Amino acid sequence: MKITKQARRDAKQLFNTCKVGGLLDEARVRQVVGVVVAQKPRGYAGILTHFQRLVKLDLDRRMARVESAVPASEALQQSVKASLAQRYGAGLAVSFVVNPALIGGLRVKVGSDVFDGSVRARLNELEASF
Amino acid sequence: MSNLLQEIEAQISGVKTLVNKQNVGIVRECADGVAKIEGLTDAMLNEMLDFGNGITGLALNLEETEVGAIILGDYLGVHEGQEVKTTGKLLSVPVGKGLLGRVVNMLGQPIDGKGPIKEDAFYPVEKIAPGIIKRKSVSQPVQTGIMAIDAMIPIGRGQRELIIGDRGTGKTTIGVDTMINQARMNKVGRASGDKNFRPVYNIYVAIGQKQSNVARVIAELEKAGAMGDTIVVAASASDSAANQYMAPFSGAAMGEWFMDNGMDALIIYDDLSKQAVAYRQVSLVLKRPSGREAYPGDVFYLHSRLLERSARVSEKYGNGSLTALPIVETQAGDVSAYIPTNVISITDGQIYLETDLFYQGVRPAVSVGLSVSRVGSAAQIKAMKQVAGRIKGDLAQFRELAAFAQFGSDLDAKTQGILERGKRVVEVFKQPQFNPIPVELQAAVLWAVQNNFFDDVAVEKIKVCQDMMTDFLNTRKADLLTKIRTEKAISEALAAELKAAITEFKQTYR
Repeated sequence: MKITKQARRDAKQLFNTCKVGGLLDEARVRQVVGVVVAQKPRGYAGILTHFQRLVKLDLDRRMARVESAVPASEALQQSVKASLAQRYGAGLAVSFVVNPALIGGLRVKVGSDVFDGSVRARLNELEASF
Repeated sequence: MSNLLQEIEAQISGVKTLVNKQNVGIVRECADGVAKIEGLTDAMLNEMLDFGNGITGLALNLEETEVGAIILGDYLGVHEGQEVKTTGKLLSVPVGKGLLGRVVNMLGQPIDGKGPIKEDAFYPVEKIAPGIIKRKSVSQPVQTGIMAIDAMIPIGRGQRELIIGDRGTGKTTIGVDTMINQARMNKVGRASGDKNFRPVYNIYVAIGQKQSNVARVIAELEKAGAMGDTIVVAASASDSAANQYMAPFSGAAMGEWFMDNGMDALIIYDDLSKQAVAYRQVSLVLKRPSGREAYPGDVFYLHSRLLERSARVSEKYGNGSLTALPIVETQAGDVSAYIPTNVISITDGQIYLETDLFYQGVRPAVSVGLSVSRVGSAAQIKAMKQVAGRIKGDLAQFRELAAFAQFGSDLDAKTQGILERGKRVVEVFKQPQFNPIPVELQAAVLWAVQNNFFDDVAVEKIKVCQDMMTDFLNTRKADLLTKIRTEKAISEALAAELKAAITEFKQTYR
């Protein structure tokens, strides 16, 4: 489906109104979608598609994924959450995943930033250096 | 002992492993050598991206939600969902004397199967051209070995001279001839042991050409022994558009190394119209707005920033130079098309090759009226200036009168004289391909023409007479030629000697 420039602009505007103090407000997002669906303005399907994409990208940006080889202890989880909040500010959704392929260490991905302290990454680096 | 172990343990616990931060993105779509990548929030313009498996990309479009990148190398290995990393580096190619005699691709990797290349340094592919302070005006010649060009449209070191013409009019041949002549002069110069001799290194960039054509040029260079002083950068028609668009820039980077290190280099871009087409393709796939003939708005900047990198650098900054001979192909002789006018306005002159002349047998088919060199005459050696000063005007007059003379036969003596001289000059300028003529011989032959030694030779016999004279001078009067070459001027004494020599030859010719 072709999304017109006007639809993109409208979606962006709606997206900006959903922000409270720089963070996306869930209630407002739901409200906006409800209003658009009810009023059906010109090109509303395009507006909603682009709006969804913007919301998705924003959620991705504020999503932190912490991988570890063994389940992370409660204390570790708290310290990781605290240091991430210090670096990226509040409103971060942190999820913890177990990935035995890492062998050891942590791999943290926040938005498009990756902090890889895993044994696997260092082994790969070693391999590449040969 | 236990103390020691505890100490080591304490040391180990104190050591922290460094975690490096990386910026990654996910390939959302990939087609025609261009990938759209989501994420990569820290990517910079023109930054090199790592696609893994040794495939690199170049971030060309930074948009609100995604990054548009061209893929250098085999883009079939890139697929949707793949992770891409930023590298924080600009695209660089190996440069140095180790590349001489080699055939490389756009990334500077060897494709001639002669093993790895030992480079002196790495240079960024995109570099800002030397500024006004660093430059110096053109003052030394580049001898192409083509008489018509060296006499009428002289090229200087650091100049940018466009070679333009229809398909099949001998554009590449002029480039190859020039490279062969540089290699020959380098050989003579090195053998003479002259400390002030400055060799010229060649770089031949083949863009969007058939592999067979590139192979032919390389074979021709090897046959003439010119490959040792030449780097060939090949982005053939089967390479991706991204590679074809970047190839001239890597060639320029290799040339800049010679310039920065106080040497002289000559670069031939064969040809820039194909590069513009490749750039148009990349731009359209990247969804950049298109302009005239669907070329993007910055196609002028594409060529101007490339050609601006050719320069003559002043003594304070190493005294090097990079001469550029870009080639542009016209369609049906139309020099007022988009790309030709752009490149004509950027360069310091052009050599226009005409189809009509080519089929009349005037080869090289240089059109005297439309060809010009804006700065090269300052670089011409004095001997050439002495003998060739009036030729361009004479020939232009001849062309004008030749068309007029077809209608009537009763012409006055002066017109007759101009016509006869013109016909002879045109004959003298005919030259077979891959056979450059040394400048001293050119000066001697032109001196003979100017001093009426060819007037009594029939026009159809001129070429034979010229060849015999060349042989005579080469075998019997080699010291005279050497004197012209070293003195670089025809003094009165030399003129007398030349006159005696040619009179002697004329007696044997009869």
